[in-house]
Amino acid sequence: MADAIGIAGTGLTVHRKWLDAISDNIANINTAEPMSGSAFQARYVAVQAGPGTSGVYVSGAAYGSATGRVTYDPENPVADADGYVRMPDIDLGSQMGALIMAQRGYQANAAVVDRAQDAYQAALKIGSNG
Amino acid sequence: MIESVTQAALSSALDGLSTRQRVIADNIANINTPNYQAQRVTFEDALAQSVSQGSGAVAPDILPSLEPTQTNGNNVNLDEETLNSIETGLRYQFATQAMNQQFQSLTAAMKTS
Repeated sequence: MADAIGIAGTGLTVHRKWLDAISDNIANINTAEPMSGSAFQARYVAVQAGPGTSGVYVSGAAYGSATGRVTYDPENPVADADGYVRMPDIDLGSQMGALIMAQRGYQANAAVVDRAQDAYQAALKIGSNG
Repeated sequence: MIESVTQAALSSALDGLSTRQRVIADNIANINTPNYQAQRVTFEDALAQSVSQGSGAVAPDILPSLEPTQTNGNNVNLDEETLNSIETGLRYQFATQAMNQQFQSLTAAMKTS
C-alpha cells in the first residue's frame, strides 16, 4: 500500500516536470534570438514506464526546431543587418492543450495518494481495540 | 481459531487488494505515457475456489487490461481506474475491520477462564 503512494509520487514528479517544461515554453514564446545563434527551442519531456509496477520516470528531453521562424523585425535590438531575428517555433494551442493534460494528470496522481493513505491508515488499525 | 480459513482468506484478500491498489497507482502514474498498456489484478475467483477447498490462501494475478487503446498506444481509462481505486480502498477498510473482529474474538477466547 505504501508502494501505491510511491508510485503515485513518480507520476506526480513526471507531470510536474512536464508542467515546468510547458511553462518554460510558453514563457519564451516571444523570445527573439539573433540570426547568428539558434532560436529558443521548445522542450518536450520524454517519459517511460518503469519495469514491472514501479511507476513512471522521465527518460529524456526532446527539443523543437533550432531554425525557428525567421521573422523580419528591424526595430528589434538583436536583429541582424537585414533586419531579421529568429523567433521560436512554438504552437501556443498545442502547448495549452498539453498544459491541461499535464495538470489533470498531476491531479489524478494526487488523488491516488489520498486514497492510498486512507487504506494505509486502515491497515494500521489492525489489532487495535476499537 | 488461530490460522483459520477465515483469517487466511482475509489475509489473501488484503494482499490482493493492496496489489490492486499498487497496480492502479502504476496505471494512473502512466496515464500520459505513450505505448503504456494498463494492468488488472484478479484474485476473487481464485479466493472463492480456495475457500471452498478449505485453504483460503491465494496469490493475486496481474493481467493486461482489455480497454481499447488510444492513438498514442496508451489504454489507461481514468474513469475506470478512479472507480476501481475508490472501491479497492473501501474494500480494504472493510477487510481490515473483519480482520480486527477476528482478533477480538481471539482475545475474548483467551480471557475466558
